[in-house]
Amino acid sequence: MKLIRIAISLAALGAALFFFGGLIRAADTNIPIYFPNSKLVVKAEVLNRVTYLPIKQVIEFMGIPYTDALALETLTIRSGNSRLLMTKNSALVSYNDQILLLPSPILREDGRWLAPIEFLTIGLTRLTGTEFRYRAGAPRIYAENVDAPELEMNAQTLGPITRLTLRCSVPLNVELKRDDQRAILAIDRSVDPFRERLDHRDRMVRSVVFDDSDGNAKIVVDTTRDVTDMRLTAADNNRVYFLDLFTKREPVTEAVPPPALPAAPAARPDVIPAERKVRVVVIDPGHGGMDTGAKSAAIAEKDFTLALARKLRSALQTRLGTTVLLTRDSDVALDNEARSAVANNNQANLFISVHAGYSTNKTDAGSSVFVMKENFGEGFTTASATGRDQLFLPWYLGYRIHQQASVSAANFLQEALSKAIPGSKFAVRTAPLAVLSSATMPSLLLEMGNLNNPMNAQTLTDASFQSRLAATIADAVQRFSESPQAAAN
Amino acid sequence: MPRHIKIGLIVFGIGGAIAMGFFVDIVGRVRSMVNERETEENPFKPPAQPLYSPTDPPMAVKVFFPAESGDSLLVAEDQTIFQSAEIANRARQILQKIQEGPKLDTMLAPLPKDAKVQDLFISEQGTAFIDFSDAMATAHPGGVLNELTTIYSIVDSLTYNLPEIKQVKILIGGVEKETLAGHCLLLLPLEMDLSITNVMPRDEKIAQLPRSASAVARSIN
Ligand SMILES: [Zn+2]
Repeated sequence: MKLIRIAISLAALGAALFFFGGLIRAADTNIPIYFPNSKLVVKAEVLNRVTYLPIKQVIEFMGIPYTDALALETLTIRSGNSRLLMTKNSALVSYNDQILLLPSPILREDGRWLAPIEFLTIGLTRLTGTEFRYRAGAPRIYAENVDAPELEMNAQTLGPITRLTLRCSVPLNVELKRDDQRAILAIDRSVDPFRERLDHRDRMVRSVVFDDSDGNAKIVVDTTRDVTDMRLTAADNNRVYFLDLFTKREPVTEAVPPPALPAAPAARPDVIPAERKVRVVVIDPGHGGMDTGAKSAAIAEKDFTLALARKLRSALQTRLGTTVLLTRDSDVALDNEARSAVANNNQANLFISVHAGYSTNKTDAGSSVFVMKENFGEGFTTASATGRDQLFLPWYLGYRIHQQASVSAANFLQEALSKAIPGSKFAVRTAPLAVLSSATMPSLLLEMGNLNNPMNAQTLTDASFQSRLAATIADAVQRFSESPQAAAN
Repeated sequence: MPRHIKIGLIVFGIGGAIAMGFFVDIVGRVRSMVNERETEENPFKPPAQPLYSPTDPPMAVKVFFPAESGDSLLVAEDQTIFQSAEIANRARQILQKIQEGPKLDTMLAPLPKDAKVQDLFISEQGTAFIDFSDAMATAHPGGVLNELTTIYSIVDSLTYNLPEIKQVKILIGGVEKETLAGHCLLLLPLEMDLSITNVMPRDEKIAQLPRSASAVARSIN
């Protein structure tokens, strides 16, 4: 009877060992340990989610004497009169006459002593006074007072481009290296990334990964074949970097008619008069996707804005030869920040957001040209910006640089529209508009008519009216482009 | 009385008392369950407190409503509230007037019909935080100008009449929203803007205050 019990227990133990043994599978990772003036890259092993470091390599690098007693299966590390003694397969470490407990036992494999990463802080710091810092799960360790500022990464799809933004609290030197399908951003110092990888994929980006497994910090961007060009720009005294990925392959666009009169020199981009200052125009068709905007029986605002924006693109391209980008060219939702970012990232000289109005008064038929409300947000800059926030210009103040040029462009538009569409009122107004607040070029928002007015809604739906409207806006853009106010940017 | 009957009566009495006790307990439990259910339905409904007491003196206020037409976007309507001790209660009364809409038909209702003020709080720095129900955004018909007048009828009505309120921060459904209907920024608190109204600032002795946009336009042209 007793024998059977023992046999069963042994069988269970064996099964358990077999089962858990299967879980213990080694995976190698390179972990850099950053010291103040040097660094050491060790090959760590991850066993059952415990990170093990080859401890002899670390103490040799630090110049700490030790004795590796093969017969006793112990490793003794000495510093001054203190000593640490560890034994193979034991989680207990003796420090002078104290016993320290590690979360996992020390291993010895092929002559290598492997200690769980916690050994650094529990054992080595006590012995040598050297402090170690690491984030759970992050494959890097900082020793002593190594300064590793946090690095923030962010990726956004902004219409035709994809932008990767890096932010750090100290200036960095970042170098862009390209190979076939990758962009590598090499950073000249040790940094502490907030995230190891970005959860971002789009038509140009496959993955964005932070990698310092060789002790050199870099960001590896795995790109698709759609990327035809990329550009790295620094901002805020090298504390902010933007990596913009471009594609020549246009998303589904409306066919752009060729210049109507090939003979007309002004229509050709290569012979733009020298005084023309508006080279890139970004048009933002308001709303989209789930966000329909205002609605009438005849048309939804989002459809009117897209139709008008496409006509305006054609008009501007043929007449002025300007580069014209739409923030959206299909029925998709887009947030306001992404809209103005398309203009900012493409160094647009003019940003026009188009909308249709709505009034509960069914007879109202007024239209407005809006610019950003002057002085908006100024009261909050000094009061709310503290610490690292002060490093960045608040996003909501982007509009200020070109406020006067914006008003001037709005006046040209109001004048042109009032002449071309007699009987309609066009007023220049200011409002705290989200889409204009962070645009860093002359920018305005046109709100046409009143969708609650059936006559008005019908007119806005009419394709020939839309074409006339687009031609008038293009006129105003041309006048603005030739004015001294456009020179500011 | 024979002894066994006496004992029987005593036992009966004790039994009755215990049964009575159980019954009272059960009735109490049922009642409290019913009450609990009532409170569960309305867990956040604040106790209905009057916004003013009968002894509070009347207070004349200007409530700003969107103009049906004309040069000013907002037109002031003279109304009366009670001068309650708490500024927040005065603000709530003004918001009630805004919700009720204008008396004259030359002005428009600024808020969607179903929009309710869920909460109001005034910070020490004079920022009034107003939390509107989701209908404020979902039932708003849109339009930049329309959105602008909705927001500034609230901002101007509160800041003009209650100098203690320096700025207004609008929340919707208990959270911060980027915009109300896609256009006007709600991320920063908003300050009084009388340039879009037919009212002069209280303490300004300037004879004529130019409209903000045209003022800038004139200075440029
Ligand atoms: Zn709109």
